[in-house]
Amino acid sequence: MLLNHSQRGWALASLAIFLTSLVLYVLYAWSDPRGGSAIGLLFGVMGFGFMIFAAALGARKRVPTWRIGRAKSWMRGHLWLGLLALPLILFHGGFHFGGTLTQILMWLLIVTVASGVYGALLQNSIPKKMTADIPLETIYDEISHVRGLLREEADRAIESLCGNLGTVKDSAEEVQRAGGFTALRPIAASAVPLRTSAAVSAGASAAVAPAPEILLLGETESAPLRRFYLEEMRPFLEQPKSRGRRLADEARATSVFAGLRTLLPAAVHNTLGDLEEICDEARQLLRQERLHRWLHGWLLLHIPLSLALILLGAVHAVMALRY
Amino acid sequence: MARTRTTKTVAQRIDLNYFKKPTPFKRAKLLLAILAPALAIVWLGLYFFVRDNRVYSSGRLSKAHAVLEKECAACHVQQAGGFTAKAADSACLACHDGPQHHASNTRTKLACAECHAEHRGRVNLAATRNQSCAQCHGDLSVANRESKYFKQIRSFEDGHPEFATLRFAAGTAPRDSGTIKLNHALHMRAIRRGPTGPMVQLECMNCHTSGATNPDLTYSDPKYRGASVSYKDSDVVLQIDRKTLTQPQPITGRELMAPPKFANACAACHLLTFDTRFDEGVPHDQPQVIHAYLVKKFSEYIAAHPGELNEVQDPRRNLTGRAPGPASRALSARQWIAERVAVSEELLWHKTCSQCHSISATTLHDVRIARWDAAKPREPSRIASGTANTAPNAWANSLPDVAPAKLTLQWLPHSRFDHHAHRGFSCTGCHQSALKSTETSDILIPGIATCQKCHAPGAGYAESRCFECHTYHDWEKRNEVKPSFTLPALQMSGR
Repeated sequence: MLLNHSQRGWALASLAIFLTSLVLYVLYAWSDPRGGSAIGLLFGVMGFGFMIFAAALGARKRVPTWRIGRAKSWMRGHLWLGLLALPLILFHGGFHFGGTLTQILMWLLIVTVASGVYGALLQNSIPKKMTADIPLETIYDEISHVRGLLREEADRAIESLCGNLGTVKDSAEEVQRAGGFTALRPIAASAVPLRTSAAVSAGASAAVAPAPEILLLGETESAPLRRFYLEEMRPFLEQPKSRGRRLADEARATSVFAGLRTLLPAAVHNTLGDLEEICDEARQLLRQERLHRWLHGWLLLHIPLSLALILLGAVHAVMALRY
Repeated sequence: MARTRTTKTVAQRIDLNYFKKPTPFKRAKLLLAILAPALAIVWLGLYFFVRDNRVYSSGRLSKAHAVLEKECAACHVQQAGGFTAKAADSACLACHDGPQHHASNTRTKLACAECHAEHRGRVNLAATRNQSCAQCHGDLSVANRESKYFKQIRSFEDGHPEFATLRFAAGTAPRDSGTIKLNHALHMRAIRRGPTGPMVQLECMNCHTSGATNPDLTYSDPKYRGASVSYKDSDVVLQIDRKTLTQPQPITGRELMAPPKFANACAACHLLTFDTRFDEGVPHDQPQVIHAYLVKKFSEYIAAHPGELNEVQDPRRNLTGRAPGPASRALSARQWIAERVAVSEELLWHKTCSQCHSISATTLHDVRIARWDAAKPREPSRIASGTANTAPNAWANSLPDVAPAKLTLQWLPHSRFDHHAHRGFSCTGCHQSALKSTETSDILIPGIATCQKCHAPGAGYAESRCFECHTYHDWEKRNEVKPSFTLPALQMSGR
């Protein structure tokens, strides 16, 4: 969610609530500020209420069909009321962290709010960077699948030049693809070119890029390419995160492909260009993965802690009323 | 053939049900989302099964109650059939009474926790906030319209009046009611000790020490220190009408300055000699005791020196310019003693004693004959006629009255001040007027402004909250409580 002028209403409302609470607290702090006093309880109820509202975003997301406000409004409420919960709870405790449970609660709240703020700031910067740096961005959950498709595409391109590589092909998988059809079979390197309009319209080749023209090189001629592909490019496409891969670096990859061009006949330079593009896309996917981890990694902290916070907060509320 | 990419081909790579598949990130998120609350439940469950409720404590207990940290039920008594187990006043009063403050004047009864907030860590529970006091003293006109005290005192800095001892009453400057004549300014300067003695510089502590402190004996006289006196220490101090709240703390004896004693502080310089025949002085005691002492001393002397009953006038002693009287006299022992006692008492009552004490109703005997004064006595003298009775009580009616010393021990009766706590500071740093005071009536305690130099709110200053000097509970009315705990487990008995 972008922190732009669209947030002004929520920001002003939150600021108003904060300032009102602050004035109330300053007046109330003259006496002994305690969570059990009337005003202390008011702050506590408000703060916990905001926490529950912020946590309800998770439920709202799980059931998007609920007609209980727009998702954007929920997100804005989550952001601002969740943030507001921290000062209200501090006012509730009179800036004392109290005993064991309340100390844990306070630290949980601080870490949860801090991670939320951190996440909100990341979400304002990383998506822009991702859009600029990764034009071939895909859905994060599909990255490994797309990477597999790229590898298959590269396999076919190489096999069209060097013959069968002897690699193991992935088994067929029935999945519902975007574009309105189901790909029933994978496209093997030996298959006939599927670039006819009929074939494309049938969707048989839609899952992958068009197959390259078949142009077999002699064994000697293809040796450098085969060796490069099997020793360097294919491992890169399979496990791009491994360290020390030359193809993971754009400049070094360009240099590698330039070297190959000098070794191979001009007729295969187009295919080399395709392989270079595949490597570039794989690099972008790798970068997307990294950015995605930054963009969403904080949720691994934020969500579990917020759930623990809500649970322990409820226990605290009950036990505080008892004692 | 170059590779071609269209939106459609790119889109077709995507599985429309991708979001239904678990990914490592989704799995980790779900696992942690379950694990964190589960850990929280397990953690609380462990405390629940060992029946340890400390985890719900809102903070550590004060120093005084730290031993009860594991015994929540000592204070949090669950009401029969109820859910709540809030700490009630009865739990506090079970261990220590808290007599109400000015019970007759206070309209509202405060709960213990309103001032003594527990679960705030290892704090001094008696260190209540100013606001607790200011609830009433901030505006006494509401709480108690008939109060004689200042009606708007919110803190030591805000509304606290000058100390009552130093306040002008009806335009009259405050006076020390003590009767011992002491010129502080003179004593604080270098003084020659006797006509040919050395110059001495007195220090405050040569005279003023607390009751529990060993006195400075620099200017003491062992003879007087060892002597028993007929008056008590309490006879010399001003008895104050204590209509104020007593302190709960144990008295160490170092808080207040003890009344200076003649034997310890004065005797070395202020000799009580009375006759050239004797080196020692009279006892520092009441006139009756001194008179008896004089009679005894002269009786013993004349018994040992009967030749002095025949006195011959020494013409050199006649400084009056009058015609000389008879050149010699023959006296009886009784008459000689009576004359010597009378002359000595004249010296003592009129000079030696009255230098420091207020002597009143003195009826001196005619001692002119004893001084070989030829002038006619104003009235027939019992001494001259030899009828004087030398019995110790015979002259009781003619002995002077020595005004009670009325030394003030506690200048701030409504509060407590601990000199021992201020022992690091020089006396004259606070009691600056002692260096200039020449009158006994001067009150030399420092004013509130002096205290406020150090006692103020904020870091870098000494405590300035009300409890530092004042107390709330009327401890004179405290009731003893029945012990409730049994060692070693501090289990409450009878609960």
